[in-house]
Formats: sequence, C-alpha cells, structure tokens
Amino acid sequence: MKNVENAKSASYVQINHEIRSIFAKEGVILLSSPEAYETLEWTRKYFSQKPIEGYFIWVKKTVEHPISTCFTISSQEVYQNPTNLVVVDKGVVAEIYSICNAAKPILNAEHKGYSKVILKENSMLKMKHFHNWGKNDHVLSSIEFILEKGAKLSSFYKCLNPPKKFEVESKTTLDDESSADFETAVLAKNGEIEMYDSLFLNGENSSGMIKLRMISDENSKISSHSKIVAKGYGKGHIDCMGLLLSESSFISSIPELVNANKNAVLTHEAAIGKISEEELNYLRSRGLSKDEAVNLIVTGFLGEASA
Amino acid sequence: MFKIKNLSVKVNGKDVLKNVSLEIEEGEVHALLGPNASGKSTLTYSIMGFPEYEIVHGKILFEGKDITQLPIEERAKLGIALAFQNPPAVKGVKLSHLLKRISKQPLDMNYFSADNNLLEREINVGFSGGEKKLSEIMQILSLKPKLAIFDEIDAGLDIINLEKLMWIIQDKLTRSGVSLLLITHRGNILQFLEPDVAHVILHGEIVCSSRNWRKTWRTILRFGYEKCRECKERELCSN
Repeated sequence: MKNVENAKSASYVQINHEIRSIFAKEGVILLSSPEAYETLEWTRKYFSQKPIEGYFIWVKKTVEHPISTCFTISSQEVYQNPTNLVVVDKGVVAEIYSICNAAKPILNAEHKGYSKVILKENSMLKMKHFHNWGKNDHVLSSIEFILEKGAKLSSFYKCLNPPKKFEVESKTTLDDESSADFETAVLAKNGEIEMYDSLFLNGENSSGMIKLRMISDENSKISSHSKIVAKGYGKGHIDCMGLLLSESSFISSIPELVNANKNAVLTHEAAIGKISEEELNYLRSRGLSKDEAVNLIVTGFLGEASA
Repeated sequence: MFKIKNLSVKVNGKDVLKNVSLEIEEGEVHALLGPNASGKSTLTYSIMGFPEYEIVHGKILFEGKDITQLPIEERAKLGIALAFQNPPAVKGVKLSHLLKRISKQPLDMNYFSADNNLLEREINVGFSGGEKKLSEIMQILSLKPKLAIFDEIDAGLDIINLEKLMWIIQDKLTRSGVSLLLITHRGNILQFLEPDVAHVILHGEIVCSSRNWRKTWRTILRFGYEKCRECKERELCSN
C-alpha cells in the first residue's frame, strides 16, 4: 500500500486483492473497509458483516476534485468481493468516479461488489461508475443509496464492454425533499445483463428518475426491472429505451410503479426496437458507411454524440 | 456529368418510374416538376440508391461511371448529395457532431449566424419546417457536392427563409459550378434559380423536358400538369 502525496484528489486503487494506492485528501477519510470496520465502530451498523476487502470513503468537507476508485482484475480466475461504504456529510458536495474492470479480455474473473452510500442532510453527490470487462467474466454490482432530508444524488452508470453475465442491483430510499437521478447505459454482447433498480420515495416532496439505455447486440439478453414506490408525496419517472442490433438480441423491460400516496405522480415510458432504416439511409446519404451510421446512432442513443 | 437512361423503378412491387431519362451537364440547373405522387421523390431516392427502390431497368451514370448498383454512401462520396423533403430525426446526435463527421469543407457561418443554436440541437428533433431545410442545406454545403438534389426545398418555407435559402444555393452552389436538380411545386424557386431545363413528370414518366422553363411553367399554371402530356405532342414545350 502506498500513499500518493502529490495527487490532487483522494483515490483508491485495488488490483486483484492488493491495494495499490490509497490516498486521503484533506476533508476526505479514505480507508480500506476492513480497517474502517476495525477502527471506526460507528461504521459497523452499515456493514452487514465484517468486510474482506473494499474501500470506505467519508467525505467531511466539499472537495474540489473528484474522488476516484478503481478495482482491477489482472490475473486468471480471481474472485473479488469488495464491500464499500461511502458517507457524505451534511451539506457537503462530492463527486466520485469509479471504475471496475478486467485488465485482459479473457481472465474468467469474478467480481461481486456491494456498496452502501449514505448521503446526509442536504449533501450532494455526483457519481460516475464505469464497468469494463472481459467476455468470460461474471460480475455482480449491488449498491444501496440512503438519502437523508434534502440530499441530492446524480448517478451515471455505464458498461459498454460487458462481462458474460452482469447483474446490477440498486436500491434507493429517499427522505423529505431529496432527489435521485439515475442514468444507466449498458451494452450486452454474447452475454446476459440483468438489472434491478428500485426507488422508494419515502419522504415528502422527494423525486426520482430512472433512465435506462440498453443495447443488445448479437447473442445477448438484457432484462431490466425498474420500480418506483411512492409512500410520501413526490414525483417519479422511469424512462427505458432499448435498441436491438441483431437477430439474436433480446431485451425485456419491466417497469413497476407503486403509488401509496394520492398526491404523488409516478410515470413511465418505454420503447424497444431496432434502428430505423430511414435513419440509416439518411446518414449513409451523407457518406457514412452502414457501420459508421449504426455507431453514430448508438453513440447518440447512449448520449455520447452530443459533444 | 449525370445521366439517367431509361430508368424503371418498382417500389413494394409496384411500377412507379417508367423509362425515365434525363441528362444534367456540369453547372446546369434542372427543375423536375410534377403533381403529388407523380414519382418525383421516387426518382430522387433511386438516384441516391435507397434499397427499397428496386431498379428493374435502366442505368444511372455519374461522371461516366455506372453507379446503378452502388451503395448509398459510395454515391455520396462521389459527390451526389440529397436535401431531404422530410428528413428523419436522429435522436441524441447534435447537428454540429454530424457536420464534424461528414464535413469536406468548413461551413460559411455568415449565412447561418442567426441559426447557431440549431447546431447544438439533436438532428431534426423538434425542428420546424424551416429549421429542417436550414439543417439540410448546412449538410449539403459541408459535403461539397458536384450534384445537389433538392427535394421540395421550398415546401413549408416562408418567403423570407425561402429567399435566404435561394441566396445560399446561388452563392455557394451554382456559382461554384455545382449541378442542381430541383424538385418543386412552386414558381418562386424557378424564378430565382432560372433552371436551364425543366422536366415534367406525370405518372412516373417524364413527359416533357424543355429549355424554356417559363413556357413550361405557364402551361402548367394555365392548364395543369396533365396538359404537358398533350403539350409534348403539340410541341408547345419543345426545345
């Protein structure tokens, strides 16, 4: 383990089971999860059991630069099982960039990550999470967000180099006046992706949005289950769009809205289909090949062609 | 430089174009006139090579090369550009992003200074009729074509925007020697661009090709398109 003193931002890098660097900046406590469990007794209530590996980030002051975390698997048949805990203190604004990846295309690796993120009153967190895996890997990513009163979360989650099997779960509970926006983009190819997202609008005047962009390429299957439950007055929206690129593609999207408050408004929209020939021909008439036109439409679909 | 020889085209198994022939020389402006469903758009999409337009007979030649079987993008790369009448929306892709990808020459923004915001919007998503036409002309100019086809560029445009587009076409295309094929219903565009040849298409056949567009247009205004069929026989619109 080494500290990178001159780094601008707090960071955590783990390769296989070894922590390669861990660096805490002023205002940010950054420890391994096992160390946090041992030394900070209050954290134990957030861990379901003693963690084996993973990080603990406690953002106590607003920091200028994003905090970064990285889990990499670089050897054959490694099984990573990190448990992470993030706490953003009252009124603090933070940004976290996370990467989980395999260093090589065929490692037969397994990564099961469990994270819990606590946003204290009126705090704000922007989280960007990127997955990049090999074609034989198995990955489970489970994350729970707890938003206290007035907290704001913006989560951007992306996986365009998918593992063979990818399970993604997120559960978010929102207190009064809090809001959570999720934007997820996944591409499946020769594999399977299952997603379970649930948002619980427990407080008054809370709001949440789940925006899914799914692309299913050859020999792949994507199933998404998105749920918003309103107990208090609030607004929730699910927006699921799927694109099938091959005859052997499959996408299933199941939105669920549960409203237990007559003043809450929950809505959803969904569309799954192939790229329209009209759009393709239009772009081809501008000199783009069929593949280039498909790529442009796909990057547009994923929100990447708006730069 | 561009020649269509005896072209017959089927769409969904139905004969739409019958033995269409026309020839455009370098720098010439041609107008294609015809009522709704006469085959004007079918001709433009066939020229571009859209797969659902099945060429059953005839040839399309561009700069001496037979392009009848070429894919759409190859025709575009050779220098044929089409401004669509109803271009589709491409969600998530900004116009500026597409222009960056396809551009063969920088866009003269002097003409589009009032339309800057269009560049930062997704292509044709929520565009008004006029904005679609502006977006099309921006793309056509960026492609630096040798032959530009305008499919009802005047449809749905107010007179101010129509004039603006005509100025751009004149300044940036015709003056540079670009050949034009204009598909239109209206006289304004003809008056402005003064085509060298006016063709009349009826029920999928070109029934008249005249170097005197005014005479053709007058005949259409006075007697309707159907008259052009007879007109050809009576040589009213002949060269």
